[in-house]
Amino acid sequence: MLRKSSRFALVILACGLAVGCGKYKRLADTAIKTADTAVASAGDDVVKYATDQWQPIVDAVSSAKASYAKGDYKAAIASLQDIGPKIQAAQAAASAKKTELENAWTNLSGGLPQMMDAIKSRVDILSASKKLPAGMDKAKLESAKSGLAAATSDWSAAQDAFKAGKLTDAIAKANSVKDQATQIMQSLGMTPPPAAAAAK
Amino acid sequence: MPDDKPKAPGADAWDATQWHEVQKGETLSKIAQKYYGDPSLYTKIFEANKDTIKDPNLIRIGQKLRIP
Repeated sequence: MLRKSSRFALVILACGLAVGCGKYKRLADTAIKTADTAVASAGDDVVKYATDQWQPIVDAVSSAKASYAKGDYKAAIASLQDIGPKIQAAQAAASAKKTELENAWTNLSGGLPQMMDAIKSRVDILSASKKLPAGMDKAKLESAKSGLAAATSDWSAAQDAFKAGKLTDAIAKANSVKDQATQIMQSLGMTPPPAAAAAK
Repeated sequence: MPDDKPKAPGADAWDATQWHEVQKGETLSKIAQKYYGDPSLYTKIFEANKDTIKDPNLIRIGQKLRIP
């Protein structure tokens, strides 16, 4: 049986703990709600274009919630340390990446139609030729024709991806078209434009 | 035909125009033979260069021609 003074000390201790726990609980609650709001308002671009920076942020919020559920409010708060600046950094990185991709698309979408037009012009003329030039045969010409058809279809798919807001996909498809068009031009004895040989 | 519209920076890097510099003794027919295998297709070269060739029988050494 505890002495009266020990029982009182235990009560005081319990009250102190309750107050302390209450304070951390409130802090954790506020931190999680603030983080949730910041994550929800970060926008789709940050998920699309800064995945490497975004996933750790999402994981941190999940971890904070798990800690909160277990009653470990200090751990919940620690998980969300600097979450605000991290979200801002991810948004800035996403914005920069999106601009880079948009510029790449502008470049490709300005140049690829010129390559395709040049190929089509040459293929049309060679198709009308009574005899093919040295180094060219019917098989090569047919291959260039089917290659051009495939590149045209792929270019259309690239444009559809761009219109759907899928920038990364659009540029990957456009670069593939660039490679195809370069190959076709070379097979026809044509010189690809300098930009076609430039790094992606 | 000359394009008077201002071009975007880097636009020339995508220019896919095929050029040929006229050599001594060449005619449009011979150039068409080289690129198309068919001298009668010289008309395609002439049409593509109407801004610089007035007479298909008169081309100059060193002249740069578009080869469509």
